[in-house]
Amino acid sequence: MSSAHANPTSRAAGRSFVLFPLGKKRFALPADLVTELARPDRLQAFPHTTPLLTGVLLRRSHIVPVFDVAQVLIGPGAPARKFYLIATRRFGAAPEWTAIPVSGECELTTGEVVPPAGKLPAYVVGLLSLEREIVELLDLEKLAEAEVSA
Amino acid sequence: MRLTRTDPRKRSSRRGEAVILFSVAGTSFAIAVSAVEEIRSLEGLRPAPAGFAGSRLPKVKHLLERERKTYFVVDSNLHFHILPSRATRVLILRHLPVAVLVDNIERTTEITVLHALPRAFEGEERQWYRGLALFGEQVVPVVRPESFLSKGEVAVAQASASKLAAAAEGPAPGAASA
Repeated sequence: MSSAHANPTSRAAGRSFVLFPLGKKRFALPADLVTELARPDRLQAFPHTTPLLTGVLLRRSHIVPVFDVAQVLIGPGAPARKFYLIATRRFGAAPEWTAIPVSGECELTTGEVVPPAGKLPAYVVGLLSLEREIVELLDLEKLAEAEVSA
Repeated sequence: MRLTRTDPRKRSSRRGEAVILFSVAGTSFAIAVSAVEEIRSLEGLRPAPAGFAGSRLPKVKHLLERERKTYFVVDSNLHFHILPSRATRVLILRHLPVAVLVDNIERTTEITVLHALPRAFEGEERQWYRGLALFGEQVVPVVRPESFLSKGEVAVAQASASKLAAAAEGPAPGAASA
């Protein structure tokens, strides 16, 4: 599975993306990083100090950390999350599943990606131009780094 | 409750590891039976004396004397940065001058697989836990005993305790006063 790290804008052109909602806004991840959309599951929490992680899920015998990006993307007023988008993060060469709580159904789409414009955060690595909507394409690693350095 | 050493020849054929499940503030944890010398009530704990370790070891609030050894009692709520709860038991660790306050002992059981902590966990928990164990659908962190007090923290605690003990005994006979 390819990584979305290096020059993601050019590499993402013409590829598929998964759009996921957080409140009234939608965000995109490269489809090749997404494994499945899972129904609500039992979140299990234990003490830790990593920002944005809220616990783990047990999915098909995998222990999957839950990475609640809504805190960064939407803020504390984010609506209740109804599903988990299971995506792959990379730690060096090692892939690892992560569960991203989202607030509604997701959509698979293709579209053209343009470089991010203006003062967008570093984790927005492109803008996906759809018919009636511009959707921010995210890099999960940069999102995690942004929160750690904040 | 004194724990006896596990004879390796008597372990199960699945090569499991015996663990004690304990809880703190509603969260379950596991610790290897081989890492625990004794589980006892809070009887015998005494508050750390004023000035103990300055502000460097806020999670050590009590000391315990046992068989002529001083154990530094770690408040597990402070160690794990979780809200206060009511401790009723203390785990005395083996091979370390450390004891740990916990709320309850749930049971002793066995794990056959220790799952690595997902790499997404990048904070202090990488020191706290050896990994994660599954009990049915329940995920339980398996603690690393030596993380409750590092070697450096033990050295600080021992130096402070010695200094306070010497001060409490007063000047040696014949010592000149300033």
